Amino acid sequence: MDNKNKYWKGLEQLNNSPEFVQTKRNEFSEGLPLDEVINEKDFELSSNRRDFLKFFGFSVSAVALAACNNAPIKNAIPYVVKPEEITPGIPNYYASSCGACSAGCSILVKTREGRPVKIEGNEDSPVFKGGVCASGHASLLNLYDIERLKNAFVGGKESSWDTLDKEVKAGLAAAKNIRIVSGTVNSPSIKKAIADFTTKYPSTKHVVYEPISISALIEANKQAFGKAAVPGYRFDKAKVIVGFNCDFLGTWISPVEYTKQYSSNRRLTKENPVMSRHIQYESLLTITGSSADIRMPVKPSEEGAILISLYNKIAALAGAPAISGAQNMEKAGNMIETTAKELWAAKGASLVVCGTNNLDNQLIVNAINTLLGNIGTTVDFDNYSNQKAGSDAEFATFVSEMNSGAVDAVIFYNSNPAYSYADSKAFESGLKKVQLSVSTSSTWDETSKMVKYAAPDSHYLESWGDMEPKAGYFGLIQPTISTVFKTRMALESFLKWSDNNTDAYTYIQNNWKSAILPLANGEWNKSLHDGYFMVAEKAAQTYSNSASLANVTNAAYQNYTANKDKVEVTLYSSVALRDGADANNPWLQELPDPISSVVWDNYVAISKNLADKLGIEDNDLVNIKTKKGSIDGLPALIQPGQPNNTASVALGYGRMVKGNTGKEMVGKNAFGLTALVNGQISYTLGDVTIEKAGGNRELARTQTHHYIEGRAIIKEASLSDYIKDPLAANHDHHGNLRDKDGKLITLWEERDAKGHKWGMVVDLNACTGCGSCVVSCSAENNVPVVGRQEVLVRREMHWMRIDRYYSFKNKEGQTSTKEKDIHKNVTDFENIKVAFQPVMCQQCGHAPCESVCPVLATVHSSEGLNQMTYNRCVGTRYCANNCPYKVRRFNWFRYNDNEKFDFHFNNDLGKMVINPDVTVRTRGVMEKCTFCVQRIQAGKLKAKTENREIKDGDIKTACQQSCPANAIVFGDMFDANSEVSKLLKNERGYHMLEELNVQPSVNYLTKIRNVEGTLLEGDGHATAKHEEHKAEETHTEHH
Amino acid sequence: MRIKRLALSLTLILSSFGFIKAQDVAAGEKVFKANCIACHAINDKVVGPALKDVEKRRDEAWLIKWIKNSQEVISSGDAYAVELFNKYNKAPMPPFASLSDGDIKSLLAYVKKESETPAAAPTASASSTASGTTSATQAPAAPQDSFYNNYTFMALLLMAVILLVVVIVLNRIKGIVENLYKTKFPEEAAANEVDPRTTISYKLFKKHPVVGVLSVLTIVMVVLAGYGFNYGNTEVGVQKGYAPTQPIAYSHELHAGKYQINCQYCHSTASKSKQASIPGANTCMNCHMHVTAKDKYNGQVSPEIQKIYTAIGWDAEKREYIPNYEKKPIKWIRIHNLPDHVYFNHSQHVKVGKIECQKCHGEIQTMKVVAQNATLQMGWCIDCHRQTNIDLQGNKYYEKLHAELKKEGRSDITVAKNGGMECSKCHY
Repeated sequence: MDNKNKYWKGLEQLNNSPEFVQTKRNEFSEGLPLDEVINEKDFELSSNRRDFLKFFGFSVSAVALAACNNAPIKNAIPYVVKPEEITPGIPNYYASSCGACSAGCSILVKTREGRPVKIEGNEDSPVFKGGVCASGHASLLNLYDIERLKNAFVGGKESSWDTLDKEVKAGLAAAKNIRIVSGTVNSPSIKKAIADFTTKYPSTKHVVYEPISISALIEANKQAFGKAAVPGYRFDKAKVIVGFNCDFLGTWISPVEYTKQYSSNRRLTKENPVMSRHIQYESLLTITGSSADIRMPVKPSEEGAILISLYNKIAALAGAPAISGAQNMEKAGNMIETTAKELWAAKGASLVVCGTNNLDNQLIVNAINTLLGNIGTTVDFDNYSNQKAGSDAEFATFVSEMNSGAVDAVIFYNSNPAYSYADSKAFESGLKKVQLSVSTSSTWDETSKMVKYAAPDSHYLESWGDMEPKAGYFGLIQPTISTVFKTRMALESFLKWSDNNTDAYTYIQNNWKSAILPLANGEWNKSLHDGYFMVAEKAAQTYSNSASLANVTNAAYQNYTANKDKVEVTLYSSVALRDGADANNPWLQELPDPISSVVWDNYVAISKNLADKLGIEDNDLVNIKTKKGSIDGLPALIQPGQPNNTASVALGYGRMVKGNTGKEMVGKNAFGLTALVNGQISYTLGDVTIEKAGGNRELARTQTHHYIEGRAIIKEASLSDYIKDPLAANHDHHGNLRDKDGKLITLWEERDAKGHKWGMVVDLNACTGCGSCVVSCSAENNVPVVGRQEVLVRREMHWMRIDRYYSFKNKEGQTSTKEKDIHKNVTDFENIKVAFQPVMCQQCGHAPCESVCPVLATVHSSEGLNQMTYNRCVGTRYCANNCPYKVRRFNWFRYNDNEKFDFHFNNDLGKMVINPDVTVRTRGVMEKCTFCVQRIQAGKLKAKTENREIKDGDIKTACQQSCPANAIVFGDMFDANSEVSKLLKNERGYHMLEELNVQPSVNYLTKIRNVEGTLLEGDGHATAKHEEHKAEETHTEHH
Repeated sequence: MRIKRLALSLTLILSSFGFIKAQDVAAGEKVFKANCIACHAINDKVVGPALKDVEKRRDEAWLIKWIKNSQEVISSGDAYAVELFNKYNKAPMPPFASLSDGDIKSLLAYVKKESETPAAAPTASASSTASGTTSATQAPAAPQDSFYNNYTFMALLLMAVILLVVVIVLNRIKGIVENLYKTKFPEEAAANEVDPRTTISYKLFKKHPVVGVLSVLTIVMVVLAGYGFNYGNTEVGVQKGYAPTQPIAYSHELHAGKYQINCQYCHSTASKSKQASIPGANTCMNCHMHVTAKDKYNGQVSPEIQKIYTAIGWDAEKREYIPNYEKKPIKWIRIHNLPDHVYFNHSQHVKVGKIECQKCHGEIQTMKVVAQNATLQMGWCIDCHRQTNIDLQGNKYYEKLHAELKKEGRSDITVAKNGGMECSKCHY
């Protein structure tokens, strides 16, 4: 039985456009760049015999000279006094906390000879459990950013810290109204330092500003439960999860923590086939919606009305009074009714979350969770979260105060409102009226350029610090390198300006010893060693909801009716860049968007129907006009899953970033379209006009580069299918390829089961597509950044990619499977399903790449690895042509010390991030995933030197270590007790392209969706009458 | 070696006189090397005093007491002991309670024997180490580039010239004889004359000049290419014998050879890490805080040892570290350079493989100036991997492999057979 879902790479493939048909035939999109070389002015192709002799003579003499020359003298400079804890060649790991965002995940920092080279999750942490997101991994590269401020600056001129301190202190002493504007501060010690500062300068007020705000959620909690806080959500305790525009697996509040919780509930075994049910209503396609069992596309303006209907339906079931004045609202398939029933059935163990920054909607969500009895179970106000604690209203007040001239001193800490504030003009004009302005930003960002004093903060990997991301969970930050430049921790700056010369270490230690450690008999040294300190969780209490829902109806229906037929736009934070603070990080810019696969750009993701109506095609430049303002000339991308008559634009772009052609503006800043609505910044725009601007800009996408010819690469079944038959969607397909004894036919000899055989299992059910593994892999394996221009010609270098496949329904509402008629049969581009599949080198046992290499640069190892030897490779690229999985990458250029690739490999500071155990590949050689062979070798050697057998879990690949969903498991397949061996027995396991029998070492586990009915072809009621839509490739069935 | 042999023969001679039993001396030498050598030498002051004639200075009972627990003797108020302690910077000698009286007697017998050995030889070697650095540096390199100015070459050249002259002379004689023949017997000469168009040289160079030139060129090219290949294979990038002058004229012969300091005392990470690592100056200071070689430099600190002090900031006069000293790292010249695409791990070979340092680095204990011993080419690595058996005994990591081999009736396996020749063992 084959799964009937047919997955597609993208709309080009769906439409089978002539361009696509043309390009899909070619492995590489373009030929050799000979024209570029030949057309260079000083290179004449018509070189004559004498030129030839000249060149010939020169090369001979150059070779001769090179051979005669002695090798350059290299120095070996040992420590004068060797620090006891540093052994050259052996990494040290320091437990710390991630400073990339306010989630504050617990991390381990790997350092070699005193420099941090990798960030890993801290698996001991009870909250974060060893996951790190893409931004967290990439924050390492910010440390080695050559463009960081190298000293204190006064009025744009480099100055000494003493001068800056003297002038700032004088200014503060004279000021009558001081403001500290910061991002979320969840550091107890910085909070204390700011309190000390306020004691010294009593006019100080601390304004917390989050560029992508959830202040409506906090305000709603205050109104409903008297708790102005972000509650601790428990996705692991929820059997039914309903999300409204809430990308909790990608960007919302604390994605790593939530992904760990969420995936723990979706891990299936035959013995225990239980998983949570997840329904997502959303106005753009997010990775959370992609992972959901049921995804409902809704227009942003519908959200309030749907929530009211949902509330009323649950209230009816609960016997509670309905919201008056409500109209009954329903979506296709009575989904709201179904949602209500399922939530009610799982009351006390369900969870409704909403990511829209709208107070009314948040109040209704609170009321629904109250009705369902989730307060105190899945919504926990006693173990609340300190993440994302900005207040939009307070910041708006601050801007108007500046403009009225009431503020005479302001310090910006970890905050860049000049870039991200809705009304940046008002902010700018206000800031001009402030006498003393200080920024602790570590780069010349939009705000630090405007202030008089730049007092650059040290990177978190250079600093002492602490975090309290969740109440009772404290993280410590310890420096892993001494300051690279003359920067100073913001904590010390605050202390200095309050006439306190204590250093940060002493200050934090004293604070912990007096206020934090006594909470649970903690010890400083142990906490520092562990990286965190935790007070036992409090028992969650229930709180009564005292908010009135009397006023929500009018606003909701007004919004709904006003925008019903209008175009709406959602502004969202992208998985890679989030609020744009790390826009100059090449690892993040080059991380393909999990949904669209676009790199180095933001774009208008537009629904198919709207694009057709407006005559817009992919890459066309469009203008977006709203009442608030407009963005001109942003490229469009037709996005399946985008609700009809809507579009979405990512925030965090429109900043100057180093690219292929020097500093360039990447994307357009969409923060200008946000607006303050009823005291909250609104990220949804109603009544928008989208028009073609003329011209186009090709978006660099990694998506359509490899064509899959409609093969069953993703296998999928429903939960009921799986319960009925654990082998659902995963029956054998190789009947005609077997010999008499039932063995798979192969040309090659089998290998003895001796020693080790490394293998991997990837659970498609767990993978959320977040991209953390991609960045982790790049960091571990020195994968170069190539830039937009190169991705456009399909020369991206990532060793690991996450393929995203769409599945569409045809006119009859069934999943369209027939390749021939899919372009005429599919009309619904809103209701789609999405699956992610991480693809790395499959380390085939009978690898097709190996047999075509003319120089034996890629050969098989006795441990089952498909080895790639760079120094032997001559660059024929036969292996890449012959690789069925398209995981091999060719070095078209030398990506280090090359002006055309002015990323971190082009300067000495950026190169500090290089993993010293992995070769930096040169031009003209092939490269690919090695299963982190350097880690395998290190793990084996460690066991040997410790005189013991190797243990399962000793060796973890970079992608496995970083995965927030534990989707990747790596180990020895010859070790019967390893986790990998156990998972290999799982009925859901299959190889990609099994029919080739190349015997990959990577196993995938079938994706299971918790939906009604079956997802299998030719079985069950759902597909009975649609026999004609059977797949073209009908496989023989074996039972 | 010569010194040792001398010492040994002297020992034999002396023992034949029946002064000391030979087995005592041998046992004593063992005790000395196991316990004392880190701080004591016979003739030189190291950390502790020179032991020469110690039996003449103190009696045996006192020495036994002292060696077993020196601190006890000092605290008992023994005047000699207290003075000795103060003289040697109050560096306490650790107690050797585990040594039996017999051991100590053997030790003293050994010291006595060594004391009677003339001290001239070691001193000479020490001074040559100090003064002869420059000449020693060039020594290993000399035989390599001396081909063009050595006598063999000159003789060959001379021979070639003489032979050339002989050929020319013979040619002239042949010409004269032929002319004579032609003038005397013109008919026979005309009849015997060979048509020049039939000769090979005519066919090749006159008739088909292109073919001729090309064939000559081909021969020349083949010879050159063969030479070039050989040159490239054995010379380019191969630095065997590379022995640069180091910033400090450190002698492995003295430290590892004469004083037998364990290699890993200084290269302490060789068993733990991929790098053997050059020791920091602080490791040098463990001994050189006391060892200044002043006696050889007229009361001045040896200029080479002074370089360590300059690096780390040690005031030899006041015998203390200079406060707030800006330390100056020593820029050693790296001798063993592997290309960046090669991963080599010392601990794998030293700790797991239990390979002697000398196997790759040569007789390091005899090198005054370290020279690269091996070619460090891949063939050299692989040869060893092919020949060396894995040390299966006593390492639990190999237990499974060992059991599998036993089943096949084998007891050993080479590194190469166990995957030690696979690319990604060293290249990644």
